[in-house]
Amino acid sequence: MKKYSQTTAEIGDFSKLPLLQKYALADLLYVAYGLLIVALVLVSYILGMFDLLPHDPQQINMGLLMAPPASGGYLLGTDFMGRDILSRLIVGIQAYFLPGLLAISISLTGGVVLGILSGYWGGKLETVITYFTNLVDSFPRLVLILLVIAAFKPDIYYIMVVMGITGVPTVATAIANKIRFLAQKSFIEAALALGLHARVIIFKHILWYNCRALLIIQATLGMGEAILLETSLSYLGFGVQEPVPSWGNMVQSGANYFLQGNFWPSTAPALAILFTILGFNLLGDGLNNILEDRRGR
Amino acid sequence: MTKTILEVKQLSKHFARHRSFFSGLNRRTNTIPAVDNVSFYLRENETMGLVGESGCGKTTVGRTILRLTPPTSGSVIFDGRDITHLSDRELRPLRKDMQLIFQDLDAGLNPKMRVHDILSEAVSVYERLSDAEVGIKSRMLLDQVNLKYSKLSSYPSELSGGEKRRVGIARVLAVGAKLIVADEPTSALDVSIQAQVVNLLRDLQKQLGLSYLFISHDLQVVELMSDKVAVMYLGRIVEMGLTGRISGAPRHPYTYILWSSLVEKHSHEATHISKLDRRAAWGVFDFERPESGCRFAPRCPVYEKRGHPVECTDPANEPQLRDMGEGHQVACHFPLGG
Amino acid sequence: MTQPLLKIENLRTYFYARSKQSFVRAVDGVSLQVGHRETVGVVGESGSGKSIAAMSVMGLISAGPGVIGGSIHFTGSRVQKNLLEGLDKFVKIKEENARVMEVIKDESGWQKASKRLMRDLRGREIAMIFQNPHASLNPYVTVGEQITESVRLHTTHKSDKESRERAIYWLDQVKIDSPRLRFNSYPSSMSGGMCQRAMIAMALSSEPSLLIADEPTTGLDATIQSKIVDLMEELKSETGISTLLISHDISVISRLADRVAVMYGGAVVEYGPAQLVLDMGATIKHPYTAALLASVPSAQKIRDKANLQAIEGDVLDTINVPSGCRFYARCNQVTAEIREKCASHHPELQEVAPGHQMRCWRFGS
Repeated sequence: MKKYSQTTAEIGDFSKLPLLQKYALADLLYVAYGLLIVALVLVSYILGMFDLLPHDPQQINMGLLMAPPASGGYLLGTDFMGRDILSRLIVGIQAYFLPGLLAISISLTGGVVLGILSGYWGGKLETVITYFTNLVDSFPRLVLILLVIAAFKPDIYYIMVVMGITGVPTVATAIANKIRFLAQKSFIEAALALGLHARVIIFKHILWYNCRALLIIQATLGMGEAILLETSLSYLGFGVQEPVPSWGNMVQSGANYFLQGNFWPSTAPALAILFTILGFNLLGDGLNNILEDRRGR
Repeated sequence: MTKTILEVKQLSKHFARHRSFFSGLNRRTNTIPAVDNVSFYLRENETMGLVGESGCGKTTVGRTILRLTPPTSGSVIFDGRDITHLSDRELRPLRKDMQLIFQDLDAGLNPKMRVHDILSEAVSVYERLSDAEVGIKSRMLLDQVNLKYSKLSSYPSELSGGEKRRVGIARVLAVGAKLIVADEPTSALDVSIQAQVVNLLRDLQKQLGLSYLFISHDLQVVELMSDKVAVMYLGRIVEMGLTGRISGAPRHPYTYILWSSLVEKHSHEATHISKLDRRAAWGVFDFERPESGCRFAPRCPVYEKRGHPVECTDPANEPQLRDMGEGHQVACHFPLGG
Repeated sequence: MTQPLLKIENLRTYFYARSKQSFVRAVDGVSLQVGHRETVGVVGESGSGKSIAAMSVMGLISAGPGVIGGSIHFTGSRVQKNLLEGLDKFVKIKEENARVMEVIKDESGWQKASKRLMRDLRGREIAMIFQNPHASLNPYVTVGEQITESVRLHTTHKSDKESRERAIYWLDQVKIDSPRLRFNSYPSSMSGGMCQRAMIAMALSSEPSLLIADEPTTGLDATIQSKIVDLMEELKSETGISTLLISHDISVISRLADRVAVMYGGAVVEYGPAQLVLDMGATIKHPYTAALLASVPSAQKIRDKANLQAIEGDVLDTINVPSGCRFYARCNQVTAEIREKCASHHPELQEVAPGHQMRCWRFGS
């Protein structure tokens, strides 16, 4: 059963509608949740940076091992060494935040440059760039990273550079396709015919007006991937090492106690990983639907 | 004596044909001549119509003249200056005088920009103006194309076909074009809107002294708008002359067929068109496209009637444009009317 | 008096524009008839609803809410039914001041019911050809195969050999050169004109009683257009088929149609014999029809190089439908005495002469 109603005999103006009617509820919720997560991450990062933590993340409290949440002043409980989980979670963000930003910056910049070179000028340049992006795309990312770790050192920044580079093909292809689409609509040609400079066409018309949404979305998704990567590596022992906390190694070290029935030290960071990545992904998804008007308007 | 604003000499544009691996061995026919040896001139305040079926190369002629795609050979002289080999940078300041109205209604209209932004941008391409001046000029442009000021805040998706076309025209006027190549300006529009656009183009020509190269497959509109007409077939001009002559007394068999199908469309009378002519009207794809000798021969009713004269298929004897008097040129070995 | 082959009464097809939060009244109360062996032309510009009306007859509307009211009676020799039978069970309309404000429709339910109703009609008794022939043919199947499939499905020629022969017969009927060779061609290797002819062959191969042609000549070159019209004229007299011909090209309609309906803003504004409706000099003429005929360049105008007579304003968008006559804003024949009525009351379709109906305050009470 579908219901359609028109409230007045006059036509409405879409832009003046309340948010709820303009966009699907699902998308709005996704974006709201995603923004909440982003805010939490940002705030936590700043707190961590200035050491404004509820407890010292390294401080061992042998008296209160593996305490459940909200016991004795520890909001999220303590781990197997009596250290405050909340503080460790906050500090753990340091492990992926800046590196993640580095990765997405590389992906976006590299992707934009290659996408524009390939899409706008085409020809031989396009062929070369396509070969290159296909090549990079076909490398299994994790293997490449392990190689880098083996060859150099397990430095998260090196790792993120690799991640950034492996993320370039996606962005480049997306932008090149967008440009091809615009070219089909005589759009670029008309701008050139008018006498506009190529750089104006590229920066203003293509990137700002048409690729804005694409780039925001790639950024959010990229961040989600960066988090997953960092936590996986730390879990495997390649990333941040104990006693410095990272969500990954927290899960790892808590794993030993998991089977003994002490679920919390492992589960807390795992949930943090889950909700955070989910937040970034949903943000990207929701924004995509809203900005690109996907949901049946 | 009005000056010549555009002179096209033996313009050719070849596109490389994508061939399969094995046929690369045959190097002789590697390109498709979309435009082959086209020559004409256009005076100030004059309109020249360019007609032909789809695929005859008329759009390519327009785009090549404006250097949107580089010509393979020949020359284009705009306002006394040879622009055939100018670099992009040298061309840019000249672009403001020669513009193209695209066939696609949405060309040049960024869907994310409002009409106001589109026009402001166009106005500011070649001159630096203050915000107030830009506003005044935008309104003036809207007046010229008969659009209400309220349209300034609309997005292209909110405009009707006719309105989009008019914004496109305003955009082209904004840079101060003197020569306008109009590529199928009325094709995608409703009949009543076509009339509006045609009237608008004529009024603008009178007001601003514009010159038009009017490309269209709509013969009636071309007849109405043009002072002279060139008929193209498979990349070459086969007949050219004053509009009245071309439509009233065509000399090339192809022109004759084009115009008679127009008559047929409108009346129940069978007219005096023979069965051969009817068959020839079926269209380019139904027939071979020879690349040497007269291209129209396989489809030409005169060729049939005369019993396949050997001149028409002789590869060394491609019909050239010959002056039949009073600027009327025909490329045919056996033009109608002797 | 026999029943007409197709009788559309008060058809209403609405869509919903979320971006404007209002209904698009694409077809708003259209009544038309197509008799046996008759060609009815529907003329109108974009937004008039003519294509949507045709698609509604075929049951091809998928966007919501779609068809919401009216009846379409088909009276063929083998099948007689109302194509919109039972629609009112699936649709509930709320009106305010004679304007539809709310529609509640069980779309999936109606889809199923409609499919059942159209099953033995679509493609068999009623065939449709569309505007862009390349887009309507399956690019991966040869043209011959597509026609053969249609023959096999809809006629009694079921064997491979028979159906193939019939397909070749039809290809020949539409004047395609060397039909036996062309049988194995793919649509991509055929020109627009040829594809359109193949489509016509496909439509006629099922030997339908009614052919719906939606803009069959639009998009084709001028020379081809006249040939397609020639072809349709011949086929019309040879097969005796009834046609509902939709086009914005008046010349095409004038050559083929016996009766003409002029549509504007989702409704029929003039309906009658072709010679009357399309005659520029007729005294009883709807202002829109008159303006439409006047805006086409005529030989006289070309000779005088005069400006064309354009209609002021833009074609009505069927979202913002005024409460009075829909053509009022652009009409140049409003007189002082009827001005108020034109502005506030929507005129009904009235018979102004036998067989000639008009929707205008100037010619009816």
